[in-house]
Amino acid sequence: MRILELDNIHAYYGDSHVIQGLSLYVDKGEAVSIIGRNGVGKTTTLRSIMGLTPPAQGTIKINGEDSTKWTTNKVVTKGHVAYIPAERHIFPGVTVEENLRIAERKSKKNDQWNLDLIYNKFPILAERRKQDGATLSGGEQQMLAIGRGLMSNPSIMILDEPSQGLAPLIVETVVDTIKQLCKDQTLTLILVEQNYHVAMDLASRHYLMEIKGKIACDMSSQECQEDLDKLIKHLGV
Amino acid sequence: MDGHIFIVQTVLNCLVLGGLFFLIAIGLNIIYGISRVINIAHGSLYALGAYFGYTLVATGLNFMFALILAPLMVAIVGIVIERVILLPTRDRPMVYTLILTYGLMVFMDGLLKYIWGDQILFIHPPDFLSESLTIAGVPYPFYRFFILMATVASMASLYMLIEKTKVGIIMRAASTIPEMVYSLGIDMKLVHVGVFAFGCALAGLGGIIAGPLFTVYPMMGGEMLISCFVVLVVGGLGSIKGVTLAALLIGTVQTLGFVFITDYAMVIVYVMMALILLFMPKGILGEGKFE
Repeated sequence: MRILELDNIHAYYGDSHVIQGLSLYVDKGEAVSIIGRNGVGKTTTLRSIMGLTPPAQGTIKINGEDSTKWTTNKVVTKGHVAYIPAERHIFPGVTVEENLRIAERKSKKNDQWNLDLIYNKFPILAERRKQDGATLSGGEQQMLAIGRGLMSNPSIMILDEPSQGLAPLIVETVVDTIKQLCKDQTLTLILVEQNYHVAMDLASRHYLMEIKGKIACDMSSQECQEDLDKLIKHLGV
Repeated sequence: MDGHIFIVQTVLNCLVLGGLFFLIAIGLNIIYGISRVINIAHGSLYALGAYFGYTLVATGLNFMFALILAPLMVAIVGIVIERVILLPTRDRPMVYTLILTYGLMVFMDGLLKYIWGDQILFIHPPDFLSESLTIAGVPYPFYRFFILMATVASMASLYMLIEKTKVGIIMRAASTIPEMVYSLGIDMKLVHVGVFAFGCALAGLGGIIAGPLFTVYPMMGGEMLISCFVVLVVGGLGSIKGVTLAALLIGTVQTLGFVFITDYAMVIVYVMMALILLFMPKGILGEGKFE
Protein backbone atom coordinates (compact mmCIF):
# COMPACT_ATOMS: atom_id res chain seq x y z
CA MET A 1 0.00 0.00 0.00
CA ARG A 2 1.29 3.46 -0.96
CA ILE A 3 1.75 5.58 2.17
CA LEU A 4 3.32 8.49 0.28
CA GLU A 5 3.08 9.48 -3.35
CA LEU A 6 4.59 12.47 -5.14
CA ASP A 7 3.26 13.11 -8.62
CA ASN A 8 5.06 15.51 -10.98
CA ILE A 9 6.13 18.00 -8.30
CA HIS A 10 7.55 21.41 -9.19
CA ALA A 11 9.03 23.53 -6.41
CA TYR A 12 10.68 26.95 -6.29
CA TYR A 13 12.97 28.81 -3.93
CA GLY A 14 12.11 32.40 -4.78
CA ASP A 15 12.64 32.56 -8.55
CA SER A 16 14.80 29.49 -8.88
CA HIS A 17 13.00 26.42 -10.12
CA VAL A 18 14.63 23.82 -7.88
CA ILE A 19 12.49 20.77 -8.58
CA GLN A 20 11.15 20.21 -12.07
CA GLY A 21 8.71 17.34 -12.27
CA LEU A 22 9.57 14.86 -9.54
CA SER A 23 7.55 11.70 -8.97
CA LEU A 24 8.20 9.01 -6.40
CA TYR A 25 6.34 6.72 -4.06
CA VAL A 26 6.92 4.95 -0.76
CA ASP A 27 5.04 1.87 0.44
CA LYS A 28 3.89 1.34 4.00
CA GLY A 29 6.67 -0.06 6.18
CA GLU A 30 9.31 0.52 3.52
CA ALA A 31 12.64 2.25 4.07
CA VAL A 32 13.54 4.39 1.07
CA SER A 33 16.50 6.65 0.50
CA ILE A 34 17.02 9.58 -1.84
CA ILE A 35 20.66 9.75 -2.91
CA GLY A 36 22.31 12.50 -4.88
CA ARG A 37 24.90 15.23 -4.94
CA ASN A 38 24.71 18.52 -3.10
CA GLY A 39 22.09 20.89 -4.41
CA VAL A 40 20.06 18.50 -6.56
CA GLY A 41 16.91 19.16 -4.52
CA LYS A 42 16.85 16.35 -1.97
CA THR A 43 16.12 18.57 1.01
CA THR A 44 13.62 20.59 -1.02
CA THR A 45 11.78 17.35 -1.79
CA LEU A 46 11.47 16.66 1.93
CA ARG A 47 10.41 20.26 2.60
CA SER A 48 7.72 19.95 -0.06
CA ILE A 49 6.34 16.84 1.61
CA MET A 50 6.30 18.71 4.93
CA GLY A 51 4.52 21.75 3.48
CA LEU A 52 7.52 23.94 4.37
CA THR A 53 8.23 24.64 0.69
CA PRO A 54 4.85 23.84 -0.83
CA PRO A 55 5.02 22.68 -4.45
CA ALA A 56 3.79 25.11 -7.10
CA GLN A 57 2.54 22.24 -9.24
CA GLY A 58 1.86 18.55 -8.85
CA THR A 59 0.25 16.57 -6.05
CA ILE A 60 1.42 14.89 -2.87
CA LYS A 61 -0.64 12.16 -1.27
CA ILE A 62 -0.18 10.87 2.25
CA ASN A 63 -2.13 7.68 3.00
CA GLY A 64 -4.05 8.22 -0.21
CA GLU A 65 -5.23 11.69 0.83
CA ASP A 66 -4.22 14.76 -1.14
CA SER A 67 -1.91 16.67 1.23
CA THR A 68 -0.47 19.15 -1.30
CA LYS A 69 -2.14 22.14 0.32
CA TRP A 70 -1.81 20.97 3.94
CA THR A 71 -0.05 23.21 6.44
CA THR A 72 3.04 21.77 8.09
CA ASN A 73 1.29 21.11 11.38
CA LYS A 74 -1.46 19.23 9.55
CA VAL A 75 1.13 17.05 7.79
CA VAL A 76 2.50 16.19 11.23
CA THR A 77 -0.78 15.73 13.11
CA LYS A 78 -3.03 14.32 10.41
CA GLY A 79 -0.46 12.69 8.15
CA HIS A 80 1.54 11.35 11.11
CA VAL A 81 4.83 12.44 9.59
CA ALA A 82 7.90 13.33 11.67
CA TYR A 83 10.61 15.46 10.08
CA ILE A 84 14.16 15.50 11.37
CA PRO A 85 16.11 18.16 9.48
CA ALA A 86 19.83 17.89 8.78
CA GLU A 87 20.53 20.81 11.14
CA ARG A 88 18.58 18.88 13.83
CA HIS A 89 17.25 22.22 15.11
CA ILE A 90 17.48 21.47 18.81
CA PHE A 91 16.01 24.51 20.56
CA PRO A 92 18.71 26.41 22.46
CA GLY A 93 17.88 27.71 25.92
CA VAL A 94 15.34 24.91 26.26
CA THR A 95 16.20 21.75 28.24
CA VAL A 96 16.40 18.27 26.72
CA GLU A 97 13.17 17.29 28.44
CA GLU A 98 11.40 20.44 27.26
CA ASN A 99 12.64 19.80 23.72
CA LEU A 100 10.84 16.46 23.91
CA ARG A 101 7.72 17.82 25.58
CA ILE A 102 7.06 20.32 22.79
CA ALA A 103 6.27 17.47 20.43
CA GLU A 104 4.26 15.48 22.98
CA ARG A 105 0.80 14.61 21.77
CA LYS A 106 -2.04 13.16 23.76
CA SER A 107 -3.81 10.34 21.95
CA LYS A 108 -6.01 7.48 23.02
CA LYS A 109 -3.96 4.75 21.41
CA ASN A 110 -1.81 2.58 23.66
CA ASP A 111 1.16 2.23 21.37
CA GLN A 112 2.11 5.88 21.75
CA TRP A 113 5.47 7.30 22.73
CA ASN A 114 5.92 9.20 25.96
CA LEU A 115 8.85 10.62 27.91
CA ASP A 116 9.52 7.38 29.80
CA LEU A 117 9.65 5.28 26.65
CA ILE A 118 11.98 7.77 24.97
CA TYR A 119 14.28 7.78 28.01
CA ASN A 120 14.21 4.01 27.96
CA LYS A 121 15.25 3.95 24.34
CA PHE A 122 17.82 6.76 24.71
CA PRO A 123 19.30 6.53 28.23
CA ILE A 124 21.73 9.35 27.43
CA LEU A 125 18.77 11.75 27.08
CA ALA A 126 17.49 10.75 30.52
CA GLU A 127 20.91 11.53 31.93
CA ARG A 128 20.92 14.95 30.29
CA ARG A 129 17.23 15.76 30.75
CA LYS A 130 17.80 19.01 32.69
CA GLN A 131 20.61 20.21 30.40
CA ASP A 132 20.24 22.92 27.76
CA GLY A 133 19.69 21.10 24.44
CA ALA A 134 22.34 23.24 22.77
CA THR A 135 25.07 21.87 25.06
CA LEU A 136 24.67 18.30 23.76
CA SER A 137 27.24 16.72 21.44
CA GLY A 138 26.35 16.16 17.77
CA GLY A 139 25.46 12.52 18.29
CA GLU A 140 23.36 13.28 21.37
CA GLN A 141 21.58 16.06 19.49
CA GLN A 142 20.76 13.61 16.71
CA MET A 143 19.32 11.18 19.29
CA LEU A 144 17.31 14.03 20.78
CA ALA A 145 16.06 15.09 17.34
CA ILE A 146 14.95 11.51 16.62
CA GLY A 147 13.39 11.14 20.07
CA ARG A 148 11.58 14.44 19.63
CA GLY A 149 10.28 13.29 16.26
CA LEU A 150 8.98 10.07 17.82
CA MET A 151 7.05 12.00 20.49
CA SER A 152 4.44 12.92 17.89
CA ASN A 153 3.81 9.19 17.24
CA PRO A 154 4.62 9.21 13.53
CA SER A 155 3.95 6.46 11.03
CA ILE A 156 6.36 8.07 8.56
CA MET A 157 9.76 9.33 9.64
CA ILE A 158 11.65 11.67 7.35
CA LEU A 159 15.36 11.93 8.08
CA ASP A 160 17.57 14.47 6.34
CA GLU A 161 21.24 13.42 6.41
CA PRO A 162 21.30 11.79 9.85
CA SER A 163 25.04 11.16 9.48
CA GLN A 164 25.97 14.78 8.70
CA GLY A 165 28.79 16.13 10.84
CA LEU A 166 29.07 13.01 13.01
CA ALA A 167 32.17 10.92 13.71
CA PRO A 168 32.10 7.46 12.04
CA LEU A 169 31.63 5.66 15.34
CA ILE A 170 28.69 7.89 16.27
CA VAL A 171 27.18 7.38 12.82
CA GLU A 172 27.17 3.65 13.54
CA THR A 173 25.26 4.16 16.79
CA VAL A 174 22.74 6.44 15.11
CA VAL A 175 22.24 3.96 12.26
CA ASP A 176 21.73 1.09 14.71
CA THR A 177 19.18 3.10 16.63
CA ILE A 178 17.21 3.97 13.51
CA LYS A 179 17.34 0.36 12.30
CA GLN A 180 16.01 -0.88 15.58
CA LEU A 181 13.21 1.67 15.56
CA CYS A 182 12.14 0.61 12.09
CA LYS A 183 12.09 -3.01 13.22
CA ASP A 184 10.23 -2.48 16.51
CA GLN A 185 7.74 0.07 15.27
CA THR A 186 5.86 -0.07 12.03
CA LEU A 187 7.67 3.01 10.84
CA THR A 188 8.06 3.97 7.23
CA LEU A 189 11.42 5.62 6.67
CA ILE A 190 12.35 8.24 4.11
CA LEU A 191 15.99 9.12 4.16
CA VAL A 192 18.17 11.63 2.38
CA GLU A 193 21.85 10.75 2.41
CA GLN A 194 25.14 11.56 0.76
CA ASN A 195 26.89 8.83 2.68
CA TYR A 196 25.83 5.82 0.58
CA HIS A 197 27.00 3.34 3.19
CA VAL A 198 24.43 4.73 5.57
CA ALA A 199 21.78 4.74 2.83
CA MET A 200 22.52 1.10 1.92
CA ASP A 201 22.50 0.14 5.56
CA LEU A 202 19.16 1.72 6.40
CA ALA A 203 17.06 1.62 3.25
CA SER A 204 16.07 -1.19 0.92
CA ARG A 205 15.16 0.93 -2.09
CA HIS A 206 16.99 4.00 -3.41
CA TYR A 207 16.09 6.88 -5.65
CA LEU A 208 19.09 8.37 -7.44
CA MET A 209 18.41 12.06 -7.87
CA GLU A 210 19.95 14.26 -10.56
CA ILE A 211 20.02 18.02 -10.86
CA LYS A 212 16.61 19.80 -10.56
CA GLY A 213 15.04 16.88 -8.74
CA LYS A 214 15.03 14.50 -11.70
CA ILE A 215 14.94 10.87 -10.65
CA ALA A 216 17.53 8.96 -12.71
CA CYS A 217 16.50 5.56 -11.45
CA ASP A 218 15.00 3.60 -8.62
CA MET A 219 17.17 0.67 -7.44
CA SER A 220 17.07 -1.94 -4.71
CA SER A 221 20.08 -2.22 -2.40
CA GLN A 222 21.18 -5.32 -4.27
CA GLU A 223 21.04 -3.58 -7.65
CA CYS A 224 23.09 -0.78 -6.18
CA GLN A 225 25.74 -3.19 -4.97
CA GLU A 226 25.92 -4.76 -8.42
CA ASP A 227 26.06 -1.41 -10.16
CA LEU A 228 28.29 0.55 -7.84
CA ASP A 229 29.70 2.51 -10.79
CA LYS A 230 26.33 4.05 -11.49
CA LEU A 231 25.88 4.96 -7.84
CA ILE A 232 29.31 6.50 -7.57
CA LYS A 233 28.73 8.50 -10.75
CA HIS A 234 25.60 10.00 -9.17
CA LEU A 235 27.22 10.78 -5.90
CA GLY A 236 30.38 12.12 -7.50
CA VAL A 237 32.55 10.38 -4.93
CA MET B 1 10.55 66.40 54.88
CA ASP B 2 11.51 63.51 57.10
CA GLY B 3 14.31 61.54 55.35
CA HIS B 4 12.99 58.12 56.23
CA ILE B 5 9.50 58.82 54.90
CA PHE B 6 10.95 60.28 51.72
CA ILE B 7 13.19 57.29 51.04
CA VAL B 8 10.50 54.66 51.62
CA GLN B 9 7.95 56.50 49.50
CA THR B 10 10.40 57.15 46.68
CA VAL B 11 11.56 53.52 46.57
CA LEU B 12 7.95 52.36 46.41
CA ASN B 13 7.13 54.91 43.71
CA CYS B 14 10.08 53.71 41.62
CA LEU B 15 8.80 50.14 41.88
CA VAL B 16 5.23 51.16 41.02
CA LEU B 17 6.25 52.95 37.83
CA GLY B 18 8.73 50.19 36.93
CA GLY B 19 6.05 47.56 37.44
CA LEU B 20 3.67 49.42 35.19
CA PHE B 21 6.33 49.74 32.46
CA PHE B 22 6.94 46.02 32.82
CA LEU B 23 3.28 45.14 32.23
CA ILE B 24 3.09 47.12 29.00
CA ALA B 25 6.60 46.54 27.64
CA ILE B 26 6.67 42.79 28.26
CA GLY B 27 3.68 42.26 25.96
CA LEU B 28 5.34 44.26 23.20
CA ASN B 29 8.50 42.26 23.82
CA ILE B 30 6.90 38.80 23.71
CA ILE B 31 4.99 39.67 20.54
CA TYR B 32 8.27 40.71 18.92
CA GLY B 33 10.13 37.67 20.24
CA ILE B 34 7.70 35.18 18.74
CA SER B 35 6.03 36.88 15.80
CA ARG B 36 8.72 39.43 14.85
CA VAL B 37 6.09 42.18 14.90
CA ILE B 38 6.74 45.57 16.46
CA ASN B 39 3.27 46.73 17.34
CA ILE B 40 3.31 50.54 17.20
CA ALA B 41 -0.35 50.51 18.26
CA HIS B 42 0.55 48.83 21.57
CA GLY B 43 0.28 52.14 23.45
CA SER B 44 -3.17 52.73 21.97
CA LEU B 45 -4.25 49.32 23.27
CA TYR B 46 -3.01 50.38 26.69
CA ALA B 47 -5.13 53.53 26.38
CA LEU B 48 -8.07 51.43 25.20
CA GLY B 49 -7.78 49.35 28.38
CA ALA B 50 -7.98 52.53 30.44
CA TYR B 51 -11.02 53.81 28.51
CA PHE B 52 -12.79 50.45 28.73
CA GLY B 53 -12.05 50.49 32.45
CA TYR B 54 -13.45 54.02 32.75
CA THR B 55 -16.69 53.08 31.01
CA LEU B 56 -17.11 49.84 32.95
CA VAL B 57 -16.58 51.56 36.31
CA ALA B 58 -18.71 54.57 35.29
CA THR B 59 -21.62 52.25 34.46
CA GLY B 60 -21.47 50.95 38.02
CA LEU B 61 -19.39 47.80 37.64
CA ASN B 62 -17.18 46.86 40.57
CA PHE B 63 -13.59 48.01 39.92
CA MET B 64 -12.24 44.54 40.61
CA PHE B 65 -14.46 43.02 37.92
CA ALA B 66 -13.50 45.79 35.53
CA LEU B 67 -9.87 44.88 36.21
CA ILE B 68 -10.56 41.45 34.68
CA LEU B 69 -13.10 42.46 32.05
CA ALA B 70 -11.24 45.39 30.47
CA PRO B 71 -8.09 43.36 29.62
CA LEU B 72 -10.29 40.63 28.13
CA MET B 73 -12.04 43.21 25.96
CA VAL B 74 -8.67 44.56 24.78
CA ALA B 75 -7.57 40.97 24.04
CA ILE B 76 -10.62 40.51 21.81
CA VAL B 77 -9.73 43.71 19.94
CA GLY B 78 -6.20 42.25 19.68
CA ILE B 79 -7.50 39.04 18.09
CA VAL B 80 -9.35 41.10 15.47
CA ILE B 81 -6.21 43.17 14.75
CA GLU B 82 -4.09 40.02 14.41
CA ARG B 83 -6.53 38.33 12.03
CA VAL B 84 -7.20 41.42 9.90
CA ILE B 85 -3.82 43.13 9.53
CA LEU B 86 -1.02 40.92 10.88
CA LEU B 87 -1.98 37.48 9.53
CA PRO B 88 -2.10 38.62 5.86
CA THR B 89 1.36 40.22 6.17
CA ARG B 90 3.03 37.41 8.13
CA ASP B 91 5.38 36.38 5.32
CA ARG B 92 6.33 39.94 4.36
CA PRO B 93 9.24 42.03 5.66
CA MET B 94 8.80 43.66 9.05
CA VAL B 95 8.37 47.12 7.56
CA TYR B 96 4.83 46.14 6.46
CA THR B 97 3.66 45.55 10.01
CA LEU B 98 5.52 48.66 11.18
CA ILE B 99 3.59 50.84 8.73
CA LEU B 100 0.30 49.06 9.25
CA THR B 101 0.44 49.21 13.05
CA TYR B 102 1.51 52.85 12.82
CA GLY B 103 -1.62 53.52 10.78
CA LEU B 104 -3.62 51.56 13.31
CA MET B 105 -2.24 53.72 16.11
CA VAL B 106 -3.33 56.92 14.36
CA PHE B 107 -6.73 55.40 13.67
CA MET B 108 -7.22 54.12 17.21
CA ASP B 109 -6.13 57.36 18.86
CA GLY B 110 -8.62 59.19 16.66
CA LEU B 111 -11.32 56.70 17.52
CA LEU B 112 -10.68 57.08 21.26
CA LYS B 113 -11.11 60.86 20.95
CA TYR B 114 -14.23 60.39 18.82
CA ILE B 115 -15.88 58.07 21.33
CA TRP B 116 -14.69 59.42 24.69
CA GLY B 117 -13.82 63.03 23.80
CA ASP B 118 -10.78 65.17 24.52
CA GLN B 119 -11.32 65.77 28.21
CA ILE B 120 -9.47 64.08 31.04
CA LEU B 121 -11.45 61.26 32.64
CA PHE B 122 -11.16 59.76 36.09
CA ILE B 123 -11.49 56.13 37.11
CA HIS B 124 -12.61 55.90 40.73
CA PRO B 125 -11.09 52.96 42.56
CA PRO B 126 -13.22 51.37 45.29
CA ASP B 127 -13.21 53.12 48.68
CA PHE B 128 -10.96 50.65 50.45
CA LEU B 129 -8.25 51.24 47.83
CA SER B 130 -8.46 55.01 48.29
CA GLU B 131 -7.19 54.91 51.84
CA SER B 132 -3.59 54.73 52.86
CA LEU B 133 -1.67 52.09 54.71
CA THR B 134 1.54 52.06 56.68
CA ILE B 135 4.64 50.46 55.18
CA ALA B 136 7.83 50.44 57.29
CA GLY B 137 6.26 53.07 59.50
CA VAL B 138 5.47 55.32 56.56
CA PRO B 139 1.98 56.15 55.25
CA TYR B 140 1.52 55.14 51.63
CA PRO B 141 -1.53 55.25 49.32
CA PHE B 142 -3.17 51.85 49.33
CA TYR B 143 -3.89 52.08 45.59
CA ARG B 144 -0.22 52.42 44.70
CA PHE B 145 0.58 49.45 46.91
CA PHE B 146 -2.18 47.56 45.17
CA ILE B 147 -0.57 48.30 41.78
CA LEU B 148 2.69 46.97 43.11
CA MET B 149 1.04 43.74 44.27
CA ALA B 150 -0.85 43.35 40.99
CA THR B 151 2.30 43.75 38.89
CA VAL B 152 4.30 41.40 41.11
CA ALA B 153 1.50 38.83 40.76
CA SER B 154 1.45 39.29 36.95
CA MET B 155 5.22 39.06 36.78
CA ALA B 156 5.23 35.83 38.83
CA SER B 157 2.45 34.23 36.78
CA LEU B 158 4.17 35.24 33.55
CA TYR B 159 7.42 33.63 34.66
CA MET B 160 5.56 30.49 35.74
CA LEU B 161 3.82 30.38 32.36
CA ILE B 162 7.07 30.75 30.45
CA GLU B 163 9.19 28.42 32.56
CA LYS B 164 6.77 25.68 33.60
CA THR B 165 4.02 25.19 31.03
CA LYS B 166 4.01 23.67 27.58
CA VAL B 167 2.75 26.97 26.18
CA GLY B 168 5.82 28.59 27.70
CA ILE B 169 8.15 26.00 26.17
CA ILE B 170 6.54 26.61 22.78
CA MET B 171 6.97 30.36 23.24
CA ARG B 172 10.67 30.00 24.09
CA ALA B 173 11.27 27.53 21.28
CA ALA B 174 9.40 29.68 18.76
CA SER B 175 11.55 32.68 19.61
CA THR B 176 14.61 30.69 18.49
CA ILE B 177 13.74 28.35 15.57
CA PRO B 178 10.10 29.01 14.60
CA GLU B 179 10.20 26.69 11.59
CA MET B 180 11.06 23.68 13.75
CA VAL B 181 8.15 24.46 16.05
CA TYR B 182 5.64 23.95 13.28
CA SER B 183 7.61 20.99 11.96
CA LEU B 184 6.71 19.35 15.28
CA GLY B 185 3.00 19.75 14.62
CA ILE B 186 2.35 22.96 16.54
CA ASP B 187 -0.22 25.27 14.95
CA MET B 188 1.83 28.46 14.75
CA LYS B 189 -1.18 30.51 13.59
CA LEU B 190 -2.72 29.76 16.96
CA VAL B 191 0.53 30.63 18.74
CA HIS B 192 0.78 33.98 16.92
CA VAL B 193 -2.80 35.02 17.66
CA GLY B 194 -2.59 33.73 21.24
CA VAL B 195 0.60 35.63 21.96
CA PHE B 196 -0.77 38.81 20.41
CA ALA B 197 -4.01 38.61 22.39
CA PHE B 198 -2.03 37.93 25.56
CA GLY B 199 0.22 40.94 25.00
CA CYS B 200 -2.84 43.11 24.34
CA ALA B 201 -4.50 41.86 27.53
CA LEU B 202 -1.41 42.87 29.53
CA ALA B 203 -1.46 46.31 27.91
CA GLY B 204 -5.17 46.60 28.73
CA LEU B 205 -4.48 45.57 32.34
CA GLY B 206 -1.77 48.20 32.53
CA GLY B 207 -4.23 50.76 31.16
CA ILE B 208 -6.98 50.19 33.69
CA ILE B 209 -4.45 49.98 36.54
CA ALA B 210 -2.82 53.25 35.46
CA GLY B 211 -6.20 55.01 35.04
CA PRO B 212 -6.82 55.98 38.67
CA LEU B 213 -3.15 56.97 39.04
CA PHE B 214 -2.47 59.13 35.98
CA THR B 215 -6.09 59.84 34.83
CA VAL B 216 -7.36 58.82 31.39
CA TYR B 217 -6.66 61.07 28.39
CA PRO B 218 -6.20 60.63 24.63
CA MET B 219 -2.40 61.09 24.59
CA MET B 220 -1.70 58.49 27.27
CA GLY B 221 -1.06 55.73 24.71
CA GLY B 222 1.62 57.63 22.80
CA GLU B 223 3.46 58.61 25.98
CA MET B 224 3.46 55.04 27.26
CA LEU B 225 4.58 53.69 23.87
CA ILE B 226 7.67 55.90 23.94
CA SER B 227 8.55 54.83 27.48
CA CYS B 228 8.10 51.19 26.45
CA PHE B 229 10.43 51.58 23.49
CA VAL B 230 13.04 53.03 25.83
CA VAL B 231 12.55 50.00 28.10
CA LEU B 232 12.89 47.60 25.15
CA VAL B 233 16.03 49.28 23.86
CA VAL B 234 17.64 49.27 27.29
CA GLY B 235 16.56 45.71 28.09
CA GLY B 236 17.31 44.24 24.68
CA LEU B 237 14.42 43.47 22.34
CA GLY B 238 13.31 39.86 22.76
CA SER B 239 14.95 39.33 26.17
CA ILE B 240 12.39 38.78 28.91
CA LYS B 241 14.80 39.10 31.82
CA GLY B 242 16.48 42.12 30.26
CA VAL B 243 13.18 43.91 29.75
CA THR B 244 12.04 43.12 33.30
CA LEU B 245 15.22 44.68 34.67
CA ALA B 246 15.05 47.61 32.27
CA ALA B 247 11.43 48.36 33.25
CA LEU B 248 12.48 48.68 36.89
CA LEU B 249 15.55 50.69 35.92
CA ILE B 250 13.67 53.18 33.76
CA GLY B 251 10.89 53.40 36.34
CA THR B 252 13.52 54.28 38.94
CA VAL B 253 15.43 56.78 36.81
CA GLN B 254 12.24 58.51 35.71
CA THR B 255 10.83 58.70 39.26
CA LEU B 256 14.10 60.01 40.73
CA GLY B 257 14.42 62.40 37.81
CA PHE B 258 11.02 63.91 38.53
CA VAL B 259 11.83 64.22 42.23
CA PHE B 260 15.18 65.96 41.79
CA ILE B 261 15.20 67.75 38.43
CA THR B 262 11.59 67.77 37.30
CA ASP B 263 12.07 69.64 34.02
CA TYR B 264 14.90 67.44 32.76
CA ALA B 265 13.72 64.06 34.01
CA MET B 266 13.04 62.68 30.54
CA VAL B 267 16.34 64.05 29.26
CA ILE B 268 18.16 61.80 31.71
CA VAL B 269 16.12 58.83 30.53
CA TYR B 270 16.94 59.48 26.87
CA VAL B 271 20.61 60.14 27.52
CA MET B 272 20.75 56.84 29.34
CA MET B 273 19.06 55.09 26.42
CA ALA B 274 21.49 56.67 23.96
CA LEU B 275 24.48 55.55 26.01
CA ILE B 276 23.17 52.00 26.23
CA LEU B 277 22.51 51.96 22.49
CA LEU B 278 26.04 53.16 21.92
CA PHE B 279 27.88 50.79 24.25
CA MET B 280 25.45 47.87 24.74
CA PRO B 281 23.39 47.62 21.56
CA LYS B 282 21.99 44.27 22.68
CA GLY B 283 20.65 45.66 25.94
CA ILE B 284 21.84 45.54 29.53
CA LEU B 285 22.03 41.74 29.58
CA GLY B 286 23.33 41.41 26.02
CA GLU B 287 20.39 39.13 25.15
CA GLY B 288 18.64 41.33 22.58
CA LYS B 289 17.53 39.64 19.37
CA PHE B 290 16.90 42.57 17.06
CA GLU B 291 17.37 41.58 13.42
